[in-house]
Amino acid sequence: MAERSDIVHWVARHILPLEGEVRGWLRSRILPADIDDVVQEAYCRIAGLKQVAHIADSRAYFFQVVRNILLEQVRRAHIVRIDVVAEMDALNISDDRPSPEQEVSAHRELKRLQHLIDELPERCRQVFVLRKIEGVPQKEIARRLNITEHTVEAHVGRGLQMILKSWSQTAQQDISPRQGHERKRKRD
Amino acid sequence: MSENGNAIDAEAARWISRLDAGELPLEQRAALEGWLAQDSRHRGAFLRAQAAWQLLDRARALPVQREDAPTSLNRRRALVIGGAATAAAVSGSLFLWPRANAIETPVGEMRRVALKDGSIATVNTNSLLEVALKQDTRVLKLDKGEAWFDVAKDRARPFLVAAGKVRVRAVGTAFSVRKRDDGADVLVTEGTVETWTTEAPKDRKRVKAGSRVFVSDVAGPSQVIAAAAQVDRALAWRSGQIALDGETLEDAAAEFNRYNTRRLTIDPALEEKRFVGWFRTNEPETFAQAAAKTLNATVVVSDNEIHIAPK
Repeated sequence: MAERSDIVHWVARHILPLEGEVRGWLRSRILPADIDDVVQEAYCRIAGLKQVAHIADSRAYFFQVVRNILLEQVRRAHIVRIDVVAEMDALNISDDRPSPEQEVSAHRELKRLQHLIDELPERCRQVFVLRKIEGVPQKEIARRLNITEHTVEAHVGRGLQMILKSWSQTAQQDISPRQGHERKRKRD
Repeated sequence: MSENGNAIDAEAARWISRLDAGELPLEQRAALEGWLAQDSRHRGAFLRAQAAWQLLDRARALPVQREDAPTSLNRRRALVIGGAATAAAVSGSLFLWPRANAIETPVGEMRRVALKDGSIATVNTNSLLEVALKQDTRVLKLDKGEAWFDVAKDRARPFLVAAGKVRVRAVGTAFSVRKRDDGADVLVTEGTVETWTTEAPKDRKRVKAGSRVFVSDVAGPSQVIAAAAQVDRALAWRSGQIALDGETLEDAAAEFNRYNTRRLTIDPALEEKRFVGWFRTNEPETFAQAAAKTLNATVVVSDNEIHIAPK
């Protein structure tokens, strides 16, 4: 399982923080209802990787995966609005380096995590603060809050689900200021 | 996210919390493996949840607050309610139809009009619809083009659409009528309608939700075709879209030309090629580029024409 944990670590470090940018990029190209499906499919494919050590540029990789999914769907032609095709070839994301403002600063990321935890319902939030900020194990949390271990586990599950959901929603608003410029490149 | 996607995320999050609680018993372990093996989407969602869980560990760097500190719950509630109110104000952009009794749309325009009886008429490009709402009847005359009707229930006042010689009658239902040179297409999205022609008023056919029928001026209603997906596709225009599912390029061009003054023309060599996809009614050039790319053809654009030809 050593390899699996490498992949999880890589996704946490390099893929999840880019999800907002990818969703923003998708938003100008496909119907909003389809964005989740495409992102979901991208994670499926990444989950199928045997290893990630060979991926030098994770941003380019993530975009490439998403782009491949779009192209396949265009060929099957049910989900994607076809105007995607016209500009697909004009895009070459792999050498499109992130601008400084797109590099998520550690500070911003921390603020975002704080915000996600703050937005949880009260009991859930308490459990998350203890578990993730203070690093208290679930068993000990149950003792401190005087609730059953089962209840703690349920709060963790529910809270994580809410965080996953708002992760994709706040990500949608986090549009990179440069989108649109990419399209004009490499059109010959 | 689709309902399904949410359910998968919820299940993935539950597994993470179980794993975080301690070593999984053997049968739970097997259940997790089984769930992961079931569907690649489960594996994707699980990976994402694992990664999010790990990312949250970085919250350790956050200052530890006292757990019983008061929170800004009330403020958060207020925000949510404010958001809902705004959403309500923005939706429902129907405008009330003034007193005039005809709705006319130019090429490329689509209008959604609330009628006085509570019904809604969505009038497609290049159409003319005359409305007469009376005490005992509701009569709508489709002189040209196409309209979709969401009919307010009123048993005492039948809702009748007249398109040339074709008649379509409904009580409370939703359907569209598209006038053709030799008759009309009738598509039903809800309930049931009855249709006939003035030539043979006794030859009536009932058309149920999810079905379509062509009613010929001379031959009357042809066979009713049940095809819900087809009906939905044919009504994509209501959201400004054209949905193609294997139509020929020639037919696709004719569709686009209903909405645009700049004509889309196809070289005869390509006319029979078939196409699939969703397009915006007002973007024929995008469609042409996409079609050309798929068929390895070229597009020649001039002021009043977009032409697709072989390379």
